Amino acid sequence: MHNQPAPIHFWRWFDPRSHKPGTWAFILNRITALGLTLYLAMHLVALSQLAMGPAAYDNFIQLAKTPVIKLGELLVISAGMIHGLNGIRIALTSFGIGVRIQKQLFAGLMVLVLAGILIFAFSMFGGA
Amino acid sequence: MVDEGSKPKKREGTTLWLLKIIGGLLIILLLGIHFVINHLVAPGGLLTYQDVINYYRTPIVPVMEIFFLVFVVSHSLIGLRSILLDLNPSDYLLKIIDRILVIVGSGASIYGALLIIFLANKGA
Repeated sequence: MHNQPAPIHFWRWFDPRSHKPGTWAFILNRITALGLTLYLAMHLVALSQLAMGPAAYDNFIQLAKTPVIKLGELLVISAGMIHGLNGIRIALTSFGIGVRIQKQLFAGLMVLVLAGILIFAFSMFGGA
Repeated sequence: MVDEGSKPKKREGTTLWLLKIIGGLLIILLLGIHFVINHLVAPGGLLTYQDVINYYRTPIVPVMEIFFLVFVVSHSLIGLRSILLDLNPSDYLLKIIDRILVIVGSGASIYGALLIIFLANKGA
């Protein structure tokens, strides 16, 4: 499979078989990008509650503290970390830095992501 | 390991690609600040209405948040365009997509900036 899929092969993004690290990096970057763009739109709409005054906003904040929404937030944080750290790798290699150690860089950054997700999960749900 | 994100696509252009990469790096920095203040420092991970108003009293905050908003919106829409380019749209369709993205991006940026200015004025 090439890193740049043809439209009819779009579904292969979600097929976990026979992917090389570069393809995984590409797929993860695209899926998290779409998720984060959707979240950005929802975030902007949700923040309109701020214009409706304290009662509307604070009620919304109470809703945001429910476990389902918190789980959604953890997903957003995870997507942000994956996209951000993988993005740093892309930026570095774009300027010719670390091109030969891309695989190791990707693996190392994903380990950092995993550690970050665990820390945030503990901080969000550990004390509950 | 080959990564298509490491170079501009045929119809993406170097300027947009460079904006996406540099914007992405700036977002990481601004997101870090935004995230620490809005979610880690705040008790329970979320600011109350009064906390938000107090936060926006610091003059640098509205300016930083507007920059952050514009970078995030631009980066996400240039990125979305890049994904859509994978689907090989015709030149005509790409023109329509570009117009929609410019309208959506401008709309989101103006709406967000007005909300930030509104909050900053509330705290003044």
